[in-house]
Amino acid sequence: MNEFEVGSAEMKRADRQVLMRLLSYLRPHGWALFGAFALLAIATATDVLGPLIIKDFIDHYLTVNHFPVGPLVRLASLYIVLLIITASFNFLQVLAFQTLALRIIQRIRIEVYSKVQALALAFFDKTPAGSLVSRITNDTEAIQDLFMSVLSTFAQNLFLLTGIYISLFFLNAHLALLCLLLIPLIATLMQVYRILSTRVYHLSRQKLSQLNAKLNESLQGMYIIQAMRQERRLRDEFGEINQAYRQVRVRNIKINGLLLRPMVDVLYMMTLMLVLWFFGVRSLSHVVDLGVLYAFVNYLERFFEPINNMMMRLNLFQQSLVAATRVFMLMDETQLAPSGEEMGEFPETGRGKIEFRDVSFSYDGENDVLKNISFTALPGQTVALVGHTGSGKSTTINLLMRFYPVTRGQILVDDVPLDGYPDDVLRNRIGLVLQDPFLFVGDMRHNIRLGGTHFTDEEVEDAAAFVQADRFIKRLPKGYEEVVAERGATLSSGQRQLLSFARTMVRKPKVLVLDEATASVDTETEIAIQEALSRMRHGRTTIAIAHRLSTIQDADQILVLHHGEIVERGTHQELLAKRGLYYNMYLLQQGGSAAARHASHVALAGDPA
Amino acid sequence: MIVRVFLDLMWFFKMHKGRYAAGISLLLCVAILSLIPPHAVGVIMDAMRRHTLTRGMILQWVAILAVDTVFIYAMRYIWRVLLFGSAMELAARLREKLYEHFTRMSPQFYHKNRIGDLMAHSTNDVQAVEMTATDGILTLVDSISTGIVVITTMATTLSWKLTLITLIPMPIMAFATSRYGRMMHTRFHIAQEAFAEITEYTQETIAGIRVIKAFGQEDVERKRFAERSLDVVKKNIRVARIDALFDPTISLVVGCSYLLSVGFGALFVVHRQLTIGELTTFTLYLGQLIWPMLAFGWLFNIVERGRASDDRIKTLLSTPEDIRDAEITLDGRPTGEIAFALDEFTYPDAEKPVLKNIHFSIKQGQTLGIVGRTGSGKTTLFKLLLREFDVTQGEIFVGGQPIDAWTLSALRGAIAYVPQDHFLFSASIAQNIAFARASAPLEEIQGVARQAAIHEDILRFPDGYATVVGERGVTLSGGQKQRVSIARALLMDAEILILDDSLSAVDATTEASILHALRQKPKTATTLIATHRLSSVEHADLILVLEDG
Repeated sequence: MNEFEVGSAEMKRADRQVLMRLLSYLRPHGWALFGAFALLAIATATDVLGPLIIKDFIDHYLTVNHFPVGPLVRLASLYIVLLIITASFNFLQVLAFQTLALRIIQRIRIEVYSKVQALALAFFDKTPAGSLVSRITNDTEAIQDLFMSVLSTFAQNLFLLTGIYISLFFLNAHLALLCLLLIPLIATLMQVYRILSTRVYHLSRQKLSQLNAKLNESLQGMYIIQAMRQERRLRDEFGEINQAYRQVRVRNIKINGLLLRPMVDVLYMMTLMLVLWFFGVRSLSHVVDLGVLYAFVNYLERFFEPINNMMMRLNLFQQSLVAATRVFMLMDETQLAPSGEEMGEFPETGRGKIEFRDVSFSYDGENDVLKNISFTALPGQTVALVGHTGSGKSTTINLLMRFYPVTRGQILVDDVPLDGYPDDVLRNRIGLVLQDPFLFVGDMRHNIRLGGTHFTDEEVEDAAAFVQADRFIKRLPKGYEEVVAERGATLSSGQRQLLSFARTMVRKPKVLVLDEATASVDTETEIAIQEALSRMRHGRTTIAIAHRLSTIQDADQILVLHHGEIVERGTHQELLAKRGLYYNMYLLQQGGSAAARHASHVALAGDPA
Repeated sequence: MIVRVFLDLMWFFKMHKGRYAAGISLLLCVAILSLIPPHAVGVIMDAMRRHTLTRGMILQWVAILAVDTVFIYAMRYIWRVLLFGSAMELAARLREKLYEHFTRMSPQFYHKNRIGDLMAHSTNDVQAVEMTATDGILTLVDSISTGIVVITTMATTLSWKLTLITLIPMPIMAFATSRYGRMMHTRFHIAQEAFAEITEYTQETIAGIRVIKAFGQEDVERKRFAERSLDVVKKNIRVARIDALFDPTISLVVGCSYLLSVGFGALFVVHRQLTIGELTTFTLYLGQLIWPMLAFGWLFNIVERGRASDDRIKTLLSTPEDIRDAEITLDGRPTGEIAFALDEFTYPDAEKPVLKNIHFSIKQGQTLGIVGRTGSGKTTLFKLLLREFDVTQGEIFVGGQPIDAWTLSALRGAIAYVPQDHFLFSASIAQNIAFARASAPLEEIQGVARQAAIHEDILRFPDGYATVVGERGVTLSGGQKQRVSIARALLMDAEILILDDSLSAVDATTEASILHALRQKPKTATTLIATHRLSSVEHADLILVLEDG
């Protein structure tokens, strides 16, 4: 019990901090906010004046049966003018608040997105892409609710309530004072509702996301479910979540039914009884203006709608705060991508020398993934990294690309520490060719150029021709203007690789970093790829990860990695002579090609087709 | 138009006749009981004016109001639970129906419908139908009942002339809200599209973050994102413009009605056709009419949306199953020799055949290797064997019987399939391996994991076999996923094992050890292996080389 209270107090403080931080986004919009409030104030003032005019009419003219045409027309026109002012100012006011909210959300969105772009690759490795996307889009959308419907509804309705109270005091201070008793009552009701509904609301959101996750997963894996005949089991599992969701929602309805509109209406009726009692009893001894009673009843009728409005928004409020908390957590993420902080002197035109000096790396600060890696690649040389999955080949490359910060040791590019280079210089000097070439929505040109708008069409086409990607590009219906559909699904994996070669080559890097693809492609494309690679490597320092040892036999140096350490190094022939790990790997792969010869033999001899 | 949706949903309303009848009667009762308070105000006002008010009379009316309050409260609570509760049940039923339907659809269906769209149908469309069943029914019944009860009372007990006069502006409101609603819907749709676009863009740039970082494109992407987010803002402001019109229009129309009622009401009072108290009662009734009028305008929009969604769900549910059991089927498990006698196979909606002249047979316990480049038809061959598609020209035999002679369930039960794109569920690793047989004991699970050379890897995970896979747990590498899905297939212990390029992401040593383990299996299991890498099929009894089918 005690612990729970402490927890909820802490939560409240955290909530308040998040709210304050959200509100701080209003600061640059001070004037716009002031303007919106001014519009709101005018609209509310003219709005609450209406019943007062009618009260005036009843008391001064109707009850005494005295109808001078002039004043009556004046009153009626005044009433209509007020109506029109109220309507137009309300329109402007709502629009102003909404625009403001949208602008704020835009800023928050841009801020999170920029932040995400600045994060370290290690962060992306451990955070699912889906959750990052939903931080940037869905969660900010939930915050938008806070600004657009919660805060503006509260502002508008609190203004209206204040306006009505002022009018009530004007009509009859004594009774208005009694009506003030409503405030604590309403506050209690809101508090009780908030506490009861928040839990159920959260639960129902949770069940809904479980439901969606289950459905999404089932649809994606339907072929597995069907192939393994698990339809019935999955149907039952889905049914369970579905029913749980329904039950939570029914609970939600019950709470809403008990405490929302029906309960607010009870408050209204109680107030009405109080007013009737008050005026009735008073009329026994005093003269009561009927107009005042009319206006009072009229105001009361309008008094409770704002309360309904506010209470319905309470759930959204809580939801937005949760979303905002998540967004701010991402904004405060400290795992930034390493960048050239100690901006020092660096050679203007690099020659492409790479040196690793006792480089170690660890993700968690305890277990080293790479241990004391040292090697030098002279300009124009090729250094190949080989080893089993998880031996540290990719990590080595990631360190050179400055995707991860080096834990111990130093990496030198042209004899200058990696940290000395600003990002853009480094990215232009070292060209990475990825294992899984990611293509963006856009045409071929866009995919080669990416953001480098300064590359001319000619340069783009030259690069494509250099890696011989132009052959297949020209055969596409629209050539270079052909749009890549669905992340390159229409292109073969070999074509995607050639395209990504062109992307690297248009930037004319001094150093090539190759991550050879594991997925094999057909022979024809394979030849094209190997040809392109050897042209690319010519005259450039190359650091290559190789899976097929046949592709790197001409490397100047081969490093064999095992559990993060270099266990063997040398040229192909030297390593074979050692009869160590490399030798074994080589034999295993040779066995593969022996089988290939065998297979083609079989196929030729007795293809049953 | 409105009637049609409700007719469509009639099966459900009929199922819950009692609840709907009770709910609707309660709504009517509430409408009638709500007439009392305004009446009380009028009576008391008139008594005050005539100085006939007594303490007893005040007490009497306050007591009546108190009782009235309690009844209204209780009834409102009950009809909400009845009507809203039923609608939620309707939604749950629809979701269940859809899910069941999805489990019976063939891959062709999933090829035609994107998963995102299917998700949208099961969430948004179901929600829209649910809205029709709650808010639709509610507004329909409530606006009609409250409207009729209140207007009749105003016209008969107070003044029909005044009623007519005051109601003149009201249809404008219903018209305006319905019109705004429609405009809002279109604009909202456009804004939603912009939002979907920015979501897609975000998704893309996060998936491609390595490329972006390798090429130093961060700032370019930031700028692009800012442009897109501005577009979202602009489109949303267009929505806000309509949204901001609602309340002012309503207050304008209602204000006019009030003015008319008080202005003309005053005339009637002077001519002694109405008392001041009655006039007050009248204006209070007028207040009760705002909601039904407004709701009537909304009703069209809600129902229109509900109808569109209902149609989509109906179309979806009426998609026939393409793969069915034959009328007479064999019992038992298909086992024995596999024979393909296939002249040609073309995917539905495709022009060129994928497979041509495939004739071969393989004995029980033998291993078949299929090699060929991407797109040569290896996977298609397996899909036909699994009856994900039905063969039109030719026949496939298992154990001497055409495969459609067995029940789909028996056929698939006899085949353990390791697909190319290894899909794992977000459950524990043990649950994933035991997917085909949830009751499998842990020793067995570990056994197949060892065979698939994944046991050691699993032990290294934080919770071993209980480690959860996917977004909420560890992310497995491609090779690990492949091995888990091999283990999953091995646990089925089926007559036929299919490996569809399932070793592409594991290194050569691991591959060798898995293949070795597979050969230790009992000789009754027939194995079919498709691959790019010839080393995988070294030991096969028969090797097929496919090229362009």
